[in-house]
Parts: sequence; structure tokens; C-alpha cells
Amino acid sequence: MLELVRIEFMKLRRKRFVWLMLLAALIMPLVAIFYFGTSGMEEITPMQFYKWTSLSYTHWIILPVVLGILCTMLMYDENQNDVLKQLWIIPVSKMGYFLSKFSVVLVFSLSFMLISAISSVLAGIVSGMIEITSESVSVLFFKCFQIGILTPFAMIPVLAVAASQKGYIFPVCVTVVYTFIGFILLMVNKYLHPLSSVVAITIRDIEGVVLDEPVNVGKAFLCIGVWAAASTVLARLALAKDM
Amino acid sequence: MDHVIIETRNLTKIYGEQTVVNKVNLHVKKGRIYGLLGRNGAGKTTIMKMILGLTSITSGEVRVFGENIKGNEKRIYPRIGAIIEKPGFYPNLTGTENLEIFAKMRGTSKPNAVKDALEVVGLPYKDKKVFSKYSLGMKQRLGIANAILHDPELLILDEPINGLDPIGIAEVRNFIRALCVEQGKTILISSHILSEISMLADDIGIIHNGVLLEESSMAELQKRNCRYIQLQVSDTAKAALVLEQKFLVKEYSIQDDHLLRLYNTKLDMAEINRALMLEDISVISSQLCNNTLEDYFRQVTGGEGIA
Repeated sequence: MLELVRIEFMKLRRKRFVWLMLLAALIMPLVAIFYFGTSGMEEITPMQFYKWTSLSYTHWIILPVVLGILCTMLMYDENQNDVLKQLWIIPVSKMGYFLSKFSVVLVFSLSFMLISAISSVLAGIVSGMIEITSESVSVLFFKCFQIGILTPFAMIPVLAVAASQKGYIFPVCVTVVYTFIGFILLMVNKYLHPLSSVVAITIRDIEGVVLDEPVNVGKAFLCIGVWAAASTVLARLALAKDM
Repeated sequence: MDHVIIETRNLTKIYGEQTVVNKVNLHVKKGRIYGLLGRNGAGKTTIMKMILGLTSITSGEVRVFGENIKGNEKRIYPRIGAIIEKPGFYPNLTGTENLEIFAKMRGTSKPNAVKDALEVVGLPYKDKKVFSKYSLGMKQRLGIANAILHDPELLILDEPINGLDPIGIAEVRNFIRALCVEQGKTILISSHILSEISMLADDIGIIHNGVLLEESSMAELQKRNCRYIQLQVSDTAKAALVLEQKFLVKEYSIQDDHLLRLYNTKLDMAEINRALMLEDISVISSQLCNNTLEDYFRQVTGGEGIA
């Protein structure tokens, strides 16, 4: 399995777009500098700043969309270039194949959030808007780590859709719709959509975040788990279809 | 039957209402090249996919190395190398990088496996050209290199000469032959190019509209293919009448208004020529011919040519 994961990274050689997508982690820190710079606020707490840079739209919208596109790219290339037939007759296990793709998404997600955390701190230092404390930085890195780990699990349904399709248009559309539904459902019911559940888990203990009701962590994990398991089964079935 | 590497029994594939492969009984013998010959869409690729377990079987059975592939994949697949439809590779990687990936996935233990495989097909090792920039011929060669990378006993090659130039075709033909003769590999090869199959295969299977019409060795086929005398005359209808009435000839066929074939090659041609001339029928030419594989294909498929 570890070898399969290593091979997955070998396949990404010369795929500049995949690495360029990491730059999307810089969007919100730049927006935060502009926003706080023009807001006229006199005292900005580190957490207020980090909520803008890493813990809100980056987490709710940007990361899921980027991961959805990555899922699509990982699956589309092999489908499109007729590589799957060669893989199945090696034989590569369909489950191992799917999980190795997921591992790439997981590593990418962690890298993305690490870049997001580092750029948030740098944005704070360079702009001089906040006072950097070790406590606030460790909270930021811990939260980014949490987001980086949990979001890929919430994106397994998109990976499964990408595995079942030959084209890329449908999975990309699904990514956008899936992300926005997750964002909307966060205000309605946090335990219906995996992305809402991930957001509920990660923001529940962030300083200054007020929720209408306490988060039931168990229910949130159950939601993520059920969707991930069902999607994995569907992906397994889709990969077993006739070539 | 232990010398039979691939055996199918009543292999059938139905897509919706359409029977794509119909009760095919195929026998690929050890150490021989089996040419599966048929027009485009005859069902060759579907048969190969079913043999490899890439497509489900509607009914019938496939045995490879005496076993059913389903459930024995880990034991059987490493003994097979294949190209199905088109060579599938990562476009952003070089040929060497692509093969290194497949070698890693297969756990190929031979240290120079990639280099050796590329050498066999005449592609450079550690070349910087990425697969997307390869010509069709280079892609086919890389596909074959990948198929032989792990030194399999059985090769299943679906139209491997597609897109190759004449020199490339000759080269590929030579190394496919060498793989069989020198290394004892069993090869199942499909093609719609009749001349290639006739030059390469030891055994041949003719497939048409999903039905295996004929399966025999090339030697047997060549023996069976009849010789005939081809007459070019001014009027075949009149000539046929003369042949029937004066020489009691029954084994003949009229090809068109001027061509006629006599299947009894022991007839006295001088006598026939004279008789035809006396009846005012001009004989433009007469020659002894061998039935070609194409003629035979036409015959078994009920008149349809190969291309």
C-alpha cells in the first residue's frame, strides 16, 4: 500500500497545475491584509486575524473546491489515457488503488493547510496587524492540522464520483455543488453533510465563535464516516465495471 | 490438454440486445503464435478483454493456464503481458518513467528490466521525451515493452501494429516472432490486417460478427487452400457452357463477365483453349493460381472481405 502511495506521487511529475493549486492557500491571508488594512479596526486579536486567513473561507470553500479538483484530476487522467486496464491486469487491487488516491488527497490537504498556516503567520508579521504569540500560533497550527486531516474524509464522495466517471465536467460540477450545499447546511443541520460536520468539529472550540447549539462531535464523526464508507463502496463498484 | 494455454468454452458476450461474441471456442497452444483475424468490430477485443477478466462474461468459460482467472488473479496475471485497444500510459511522464512505475507496481525483481524491455522494442532508455509527445508507432512500441517487462509466459496483443510504418511493422513482426521462437512465449495476437497474420501466426482463428468461423493451423490452412486455373475470356457464360458440355466440368466459378475459375487443375488447357476458340470465345489469359488467405477469408465469411 505504501508503495502504491509512493507511485501515486511519482505520477504527479511535471503536473504543474497540481502544485499551483497550493497557491490558493495564499488567497485568504492576502484578503485579510486588505480587509483589516481598510477596516479601520484599531485592535485586532490574533484569532480574529487567523479566522479570516485560514479558519473560515479557506476551510469552508477554498480547500474543498481545490481538493475536489484534485480528486477529479487524479481519476480523470487514468480513465482518459486508458491506464486502468493496464493496472487491473498487474493486478492492482481496486480498493488499494482508491485508497492510494485518497492518500494523495490527504497529503495534499495537509500541505495546503500547512501553507495556509505559515502564510497566515507571515501575513500577520509582515503587515504588523497582530501581535504574534506562541499560544495563538499553536492554536492556528493545530486547527489547520485538524482541517487538513478531516476535510479529505469529507471529500471521499467527490473522489468516488470522479472514480465512476470518464469525464471531468460532472465531477467538477459535483465539487462546486457539494461544497456550497455543505456550506449552506452548516446553518441548517450540521450532521447531514460531511463538510458541515467537519466545519462543526473544527470551529466548535475556536475563540469568539458562537454556535446556536453545542456541537455533537459523535454525530458529526458518524455523518463523515457513513458518507465516506458508502462512497468507498460505490467507488469499488464503479471501478469493477466492464472496461 | 496441458499444452493449451488459453481455452474458451462457448464464450459469449451480450450487450443489451446485441450478441457481440457468440459461443467462441478458442484454443491457444503453448509456444505458438495464435492470430485472431477479423474485421473491425468482429469481436476480437471483446474476446481478449474477457480472457483477461476486464469484461464480464455473459456465458461460457475462459481458462488461462488451466485455471479460471477469476479468483486466481494474483497467480495468473503476473504470467501475462498485454496491450488491449491502445497502450495506456501517463502522458506527463517519459517512456522510462512510465515503465519504472509499472515495474514497481509489478514488483519486477530484474534490475535492468526497464532498460532491457526498451532495448527489445528499440526505444531509448532515459529519454527526456514525454509520452504525450510520442508518435503512434512509439506508443505501440512502449506498449509492447510494458507487456514484456516482467518476462511473462503469455502475451496478449490487441492490434499491436496499428499506427506503425512499414519498417516498424516488419521490426515488430520480427521481435514478436523472436519472442515466440527464442523465448518460447505463447502469443495471442489480433489484427484485421490479413497479410500480417499470415506472416506471423502459427495458428489462426477467423472471427466474424462475434462467431469463430474457423480455427486451424496456418500449415493446415495452406494445405487446404485449393489451387485453381484462372481463365480470362471474352464471355464467361458461353465459356462455361462449352466447359460443361464438352469437358463435363462441374467444378468452376464465374467471378465476373470475363473471369472464370476452374478448380480441376489437371484439365488439358491446350484442348480447352482450342475448344473455346472454335466457339468464337477469345482466351485472353489462363494461369494456375493458389487460393490466398484473403480468398479463404472471403469464403468462410460468406463473401465479405477483410478490409
